[in-house]
Amino acid sequence: MDAILQKESLGRWIAKLQERGEVYAPEFVEDAWEFTKVERGASVELDHTNTVLPAKGFVFPQREVLYRFRIENGKTPELTDTELSVKPMVVFGVRPCDGRATVRNDRVFTCGVSDPYYQARRDSVVFIGLACNAPPSPNCFCVAVGGSPCSEDGLDVLMTDLDGRYHVKALTDKGRDVVNAASDLFQAATAADRNEVSNAQVAALEYPQRSISAMDLVVAALKRNFESPLWDQLARTCIGCGACTYLCPTCHCFDINDEVTSKSPLTGARVRTWDNCQFPDFTMHSSGHNPREDTGARLRQRICHKLLYFVETHNMQQCTGCGRCITHCPVGIDIVRIANVMEEGVWQ
Amino acid sequence: MVPVDDIRARARDLLQSGKVRAVLGYRRGTAGLLAEPAFMTTAEETAALVLDPTCVENLALYLVNEKKRMKHARQSDRRPLGIVAKGCDSRAITVLLQENHIRRDEVVVLGVSCEAGGMVDTRKLNKALRGKVATQVRFDSEGDINVSHLGGSTTLPARDVLANRCLECARAYPLDADFLFGEKVEERPYGPRFTAVAAFAETSREERSAFWDAHFERCIRCYACRAVCPMCYCDECVVDSTSFIVGPTTTADEKADRVRWINRSATRSENAMYHMVRAMHLAGRCTDCGECERVCPVNIPLRLLNTMLEREALEMFQYTPGLDAEQPSLISSFRDGDPNDFVR
Ligand code: SF4
Ligand code: SF4
Ligand code: SF4
Ligand code: SF4
Repeated sequence: MDAILQKESLGRWIAKLQERGEVYAPEFVEDAWEFTKVERGASVELDHTNTVLPAKGFVFPQREVLYRFRIENGKTPELTDTELSVKPMVVFGVRPCDGRATVRNDRVFTCGVSDPYYQARRDSVVFIGLACNAPPSPNCFCVAVGGSPCSEDGLDVLMTDLDGRYHVKALTDKGRDVVNAASDLFQAATAADRNEVSNAQVAALEYPQRSISAMDLVVAALKRNFESPLWDQLARTCIGCGACTYLCPTCHCFDINDEVTSKSPLTGARVRTWDNCQFPDFTMHSSGHNPREDTGARLRQRICHKLLYFVETHNMQQCTGCGRCITHCPVGIDIVRIANVMEEGVWQ
Repeated sequence: MVPVDDIRARARDLLQSGKVRAVLGYRRGTAGLLAEPAFMTTAEETAALVLDPTCVENLALYLVNEKKRMKHARQSDRRPLGIVAKGCDSRAITVLLQENHIRRDEVVVLGVSCEAGGMVDTRKLNKALRGKVATQVRFDSEGDINVSHLGGSTTLPARDVLANRCLECARAYPLDADFLFGEKVEERPYGPRFTAVAAFAETSREERSAFWDAHFERCIRCYACRAVCPMCYCDECVVDSTSFIVGPTTTADEKADRVRWINRSATRSENAMYHMVRAMHLAGRCTDCGECERVCPVNIPLRLLNTMLEREALEMFQYTPGLDAEQPSLISSFRDGDPNDFVR
């Protein structure tokens, strides 16, 4: 199902959706784009570059209370808040790389065993994508990892900016539902509109992006180079912060801790938070031994998880080419360069 | 402009003669606008060395990181490291010397003066470009900065894109260098020290509290600010879970009762605690290289916290960190005449 929305009607569509739940969209705050809760639909302009934090937080927030506990001496422990209730949410302006990230996160959290917290959020959130008519960042490389600036994967709706109006394509039931909720605002798409969309898509694919010269060889190259000294060379300037990982739309590791608020009775919450393979304590054993002792081993883990292990298990890269880890790395460590270096086996 | 060829020649010479095991400098990267830190170990590599307003990183951090690395390294080459250092970076090296973290003969400082300029602030560029990422900057003949980005270019006054620390820099040249490149320019066309923090301190307590609440709410605790700081060199930090040693005899109760100063959750109160601990540990040590603020992915203005304490150190103790390696550090010294008797 596809339709046309005049740009000046976007605010009214958002207002309509706000009657049913919260609406989020990218906003330029200070000096960067971030997803914020929309107060006034009319203020939303979808002309953003990549948001600093990806859309993954809507389905996998940095902190999730799994339940609260209360244990009184000699009594049965009481658990409360074990069920998650999530408000319906609509997120506008999701870039296709973040949409493709959702497909990967679904693999992790819902295949085989379904994670009820992730699933509850996933069911309640509607992702409305915006195709990139031109790459929003110089570090975009979605095409190199099998994506496209107009990919529909993982999105409920895909919008394409056509000078003065949007082509709006509903892709799932949730997507059709949010379009139908304001059907009076949309006009039928004509053959000419569709033609314009495919022209925009062709043009988008022609824009130069960062490229990985032989992606099909990278898997073998990473295997071959597991013990290579290149990792230490490439990671020599890595400062071991967690920026690359926390900002990645597909990084999904977490830690679980009890946050105790009183000792007797023992009360508190069991909390899940994002974790980060670039931190030394991620793999630290209680003996003090650390199997990933240095930044080289940790960088190798990050890159191999994205471009080797996930490909072996799920037949797709776990990187969607959003470029955030490159743009925000304080010292310029660059996954695209690393993939190329590994394939070529030399650096400098 | 600082003569880059001279720095290259000196770096080449140091490596060729075997006086240093590596030279830490800058070269063009692939990730974007900023130059990237480079460990150069051969004379050939020095050809790629650059020095321009995108060489923002404070390489003194790697003196600390290398020291940690060397501790575990099987082969240990104990020759000194050459390091390219701006004024602020060289003051960081001096603090490391003051604190006996490194020895003077472990480094060969290739000091560079910022003359009348300084380093660009990518946040300011982002703001001016509304989030578009700059791909190249060039000083033009007027002293303005020409910025290229995807799909265009624009020219901005240097003042609008230089880092605030550079606008406020009182000594834009290294005080302690083995080699100095560029002129020691004392008079700079910008504002005095503490301009930004003084303006901030003027606002009401409520405004400041709301300001920090909002910022601490947004911190994701990626610890990039800590990781990039040459002064954050502790082996263990209160925020890490590894600061609690679990052995075979540790009981479940001990594990449950362990003191956790700061929870892992990136919530406002936990984040505020982290930042207060960090700021206090930098009082009288931070040399305002501005790295913590630069690397923060969510733009928390950390420099305001650190310069506030720097100003306190100056006003209360007439102390400026990083000026003299022989001077005792603020935290480890006291005066006989101190008005507080608990000090004596
Ligand atoms: S690895 Fe980097 S480029 Fe790939 S999806 Fe993650 S943040 Fe984006
Ligand atoms: S690669 Fe960059 S962002 Fe990632 S841990 Fe290393 S320094 Fe930090
Ligand atoms: S703070 Fe001063 S010394 Fe440091 S980069 Fe700026 S101008 Fe140069
Ligand atoms: S202040 Fe910024 S850099 Fe520091 S931990 Fe928080 S988000 Fe990371």
